[in-house]
Amino acid sequence: MKRKRIVIELKNISKTYVLRDEKPTLIEAFFKTKKNTYRSLNKINLKIKKGEKVGIIGPNGSGKTTLLKILAGITKAEGKMKRIGKTVSLIDLEAGFYSDLTGHENILLNGLIIGMSKKEIEEKYDEIINFADIGEFIHSPMYTYSSGMKLRLGFSVVTHSDPDILLLDESLSVGDQDFREKSFSRIKEFFNMGKTVIIVSHYMRFMKLSCDRVIWIENGSIKMDGPAKKIIDAYEKNAQENLKL
Amino acid sequence: MSRIKALLYSIFDNNWSHFLLAMTEKEIRVRYKYALLGFLWIIINPLLQMAIIGFVFQFFIPVNIDNYFLFLFTGLLPWNFFAMSIQKTTPILVHERSLIKKSEFPKEVIVFSVILSNLFHLLISLGLLAILLIVDKLFFQDFSVLETIYYSIRMLLALPILIMFSFFVSGLSLFTSALNVKYRDIAFIVSALTPVLFYATPVVYTLDLLPESLHLLFYLNPLTFFIEALRAIFLNTQITSIPLSMLSLITASLIVLIGYRVFKHESPYFDDWI
Repeated sequence: MKRKRIVIELKNISKTYVLRDEKPTLIEAFFKTKKNTYRSLNKINLKIKKGEKVGIIGPNGSGKTTLLKILAGITKAEGKMKRIGKTVSLIDLEAGFYSDLTGHENILLNGLIIGMSKKEIEEKYDEIINFADIGEFIHSPMYTYSSGMKLRLGFSVVTHSDPDILLLDESLSVGDQDFREKSFSRIKEFFNMGKTVIIVSHYMRFMKLSCDRVIWIENGSIKMDGPAKKIIDAYEKNAQENLKL
Repeated sequence: MSRIKALLYSIFDNNWSHFLLAMTEKEIRVRYKYALLGFLWIIINPLLQMAIIGFVFQFFIPVNIDNYFLFLFTGLLPWNFFAMSIQKTTPILVHERSLIKKSEFPKEVIVFSVILSNLFHLLISLGLLAILLIVDKLFFQDFSVLETIYYSIRMLLALPILIMFSFFVSGLSLFTSALNVKYRDIAFIVSALTPVLFYATPVVYTLDLLPESLHLLFYLNPLTFFIEALRAIFLNTQITSIPLSMLSLITASLIVLIGYRVFKHESPYFDDWI
């Protein structure tokens, strides 16, 4: 069997944030020399192969979302990152929509910003609208949309962009029952298409079923990394023990 | 208009250019979508400004310049382009945080789209001004046809000037917008300094009114050159000092260079600060 290509490689990735109170100002920067910092990730080393489905788990504030943002290229970290292939993230679905523009106009902008070409967007335009199920609203300004409609449109654009690597963050658990089922099945399609998927979630049952590999992050470091069932069992056992104490 | 649009999309045929064009289109569209008079505002705004400032400087503090209202209008158009661009771009990365948090893309597109949409407006209003001036030359000032043609063709010189001008405004915008992500008072500083700069630029006066020893100082401000050059092209006025104009271009280039470097350096970390 051919060995699968490594599509993501992180070497010594660390991310430090500067803690601030309210708005940072220039005046303050002159007077305050000591900065409070917070280390969100600490020397992460990671290799992910093409087609792998990786779940990331860990308590709140452990650095999961930071890791996802670094993988998405939204922010830069210290250390080395290599990433091969078109990467798209489902981190904030409603982000990047302009409420004064119509759904139609927003689809173009939203598609372009996640790296689709104009041609690609035009070709998939009907599919995107059908999946989002917003009907006649498509030519109305976005401020007339319900939050569910915005969510569906955002999800629809991203999942029609044909990425090689898909990054997911909790967004599975938003929206109404109907949308959740629809988005679940859409994401499962990605799983079956052999795409590389990285998912941050608290849905342990879902992760056990659909991920090959789970990474447990705690305090900015990888605590465990291995087959989904093994890691999740260990994680849940640990959580129960913490509860008893 | 839609044909020009299609042409632009086909010339600049890659994803980020398309993104820039779509963002520029959005800028233009959002601004006029719900305005009753729509595109007329492009002209109404500077006309009103001209009327007010002209009134003050003609009747209260008389300035001795021929065709003062025309002189003012020609200066106000580029000034407004500058002021509106810089005021809009400086805080824009904070306003557009949801785009920045969405995906990895060249963030300068956000800044450039504002400048391009303002440039579009400037071109329309300068175009109308040019038509007006040509009609005036031909029918009221007894220019021969040949002279008028020469004058009209000479106006095309405005294009390279406008390109340089846009580069300068872009460079400065990259600088202030990138800094404003970390230091939010930059936007306030820019708002406070803009009116100061207005009087430090020969918009309502000419440099001849000032002692020559001060000229060097005024040419350090790139706006001096751009406004004088545009006036020279449209109104046949003199550029006060061509050698000193080089100084304007040098400052402008430095600002572009620094702005671009600062923006490139800071842009991967914008997400951390907004």
